[in-house]
Amino acid sequence: MAQRQAEMRQFNTVRWTIYILVALVVVLPYVLRLPLPLKFTPSRDVRKLYDRMDSLKPGSHVLLSLDYDAASQAELQPMSRALLEHCFKKGLIPIVMTHWQSGLGLDKQVIDEVANKAKEALGKEVKSGRDYVFLGFKPGYSNLVLNMGENLKGAFDKDYFGQSTGDMPALQGVTSLKDIDMGVDLAAGSDVGMWIAYGSDRFNFPLGAGTTAVQAPDMTPFLDSKQLVGLLGGLRGAADYETLLDMPDGGTTGMLAQSSTHVLVILLIVAANARLLLGRSARKRE
Amino acid sequence: MPEVEYPSGKKRQAIEMGVLALLAVLFLSVSLYVQNPFAKGADPAKAVGIIVAAGLTLVMYSFLYRDNALFKIAENLYVGVTLGYGAILTWRTALRPDVYMPFFEAPTRAAFMAAVLHRTVPIILGILLVTRISRKHGWLSRYAYAFLIGWGAGVAIPLTTHTFILQQLYSAIAPFQSAAQGATATAFSASWFWDVALPVFGAVLVLIGTIAVLFYFFFSVEHKGAPGMVSKLGVLFLMVSFGASFGYTVMGRVSLLIGRVQFLLFDWLKMPK
Repeated sequence: MAQRQAEMRQFNTVRWTIYILVALVVVLPYVLRLPLPLKFTPSRDVRKLYDRMDSLKPGSHVLLSLDYDAASQAELQPMSRALLEHCFKKGLIPIVMTHWQSGLGLDKQVIDEVANKAKEALGKEVKSGRDYVFLGFKPGYSNLVLNMGENLKGAFDKDYFGQSTGDMPALQGVTSLKDIDMGVDLAAGSDVGMWIAYGSDRFNFPLGAGTTAVQAPDMTPFLDSKQLVGLLGGLRGAADYETLLDMPDGGTTGMLAQSSTHVLVILLIVAANARLLLGRSARKRE
Repeated sequence: MPEVEYPSGKKRQAIEMGVLALLAVLFLSVSLYVQNPFAKGADPAKAVGIIVAAGLTLVMYSFLYRDNALFKIAENLYVGVTLGYGAILTWRTALRPDVYMPFFEAPTRAAFMAAVLHRTVPIILGILLVTRISRKHGWLSRYAYAFLIGWGAGVAIPLTTHTFILQQLYSAIAPFQSAAQGATATAFSASWFWDVALPVFGAVLVLIGTIAVLFYFFFSVEHKGAPGMVSKLGVLFLMVSFGASFGYTVMGRVSLLIGRVQFLLFDWLKMPK
């Protein structure tokens, strides 16, 4: 009984030590305003997506499918912000939609935020229906994408604000997905695979993606097969894009906390393994 | 991992309740001082929203101490709010514009007739799906499911085969094809190394990895001798794959924590960025 209590005490001590250490390495960089000590080079896959977006002519249509909700907001919202900022900076027309109805509020929030910021930067109002389109949510998932591939304005006869898409200036020259110059899916679920199968492969438009870090390794085969033109993986992907855009924001500011936590996790793994090995050799000696 | 046992007793509960009350008062005081929803020119709805979100975030993290009543309340609130929000959005974004309005707010008789023509069958199929809740009439939902599965499979099979099998096969073979085409060109030069040799090496590695991993799960042959070595190689590839996934998962989970910390510091406590 006494041994079990001692074990429990030790377990709780280790548990709380880890919690406190993680909390400290995440919070302290912000509180102490520590600068990022190293310059990180954007990854090749992020650069590819950035270059592809950057090569589009002003007035080109970029479909942004923001398929996530609050649970993945920390990783994907900075990507949405960076991509929208890039669109407005380059004079591209983003067509924003979502397959996740629970993410609709976040989408509206990021569009408003970036449109206001662009208004300050460009000195002119960024208007819905002229400079961007917010289609909102429609049920149907893959069927909706097929429908958009046949007739985009039929699939979304009205935008989020209730404006008719039929004679919308921002959608001039766009009748279906075939007329889209570029698509980017920011997804917390299996939406990227669906967009490739039902969207880009079938209707022939270049597609990029941004995913949560957990999903990023699963996207590698699509990069190798060039079914994806580029990939933003997790918060690091957002930070890379912000660096290329020269607009540091939520992704970049999170990098010091992220890096220090990674160092802590590595140290903890090394310490735990060392303790295991030392314990094993001690038991052998006994 | 030993199961954690907490000593029970009225004294401990009283201490916990006291600490909890103290923390609640501290939280409210800090929130009201920093957010100040009653200040002139303040946006009370936004301030209250931030206070509630910050409170719920802290309550969620209270689970690290142990399961508690506040965590349970927040957990149930999350499920309830998500369902309620989903129901309203389903009405506003799907049922109202696609079912209600075409019939009950049709601008012309022709529009009403078009709705009857195009929407009646899908609506009936949709209603049939709902019959699942009745034991007596649940069998009716099979018609809707049969339609859904038949149509879905017909559309999905060719597209997914093309995207996930044929395109991936082509991508696996492509390095060999380009190597064969460029075999007579500048062999052993720098561009040959990057454009030909390295992709071929990668493709061969993927091939060996795929075979070795599949062999690890092949139990008709005893994993001894040569088969054992192949199987061990498969384990090695699996470990590398799990390691990559684990690394990315840690990164993802830390990002979520960073997101909440950023919210608490910059939005709730209004710390300058």
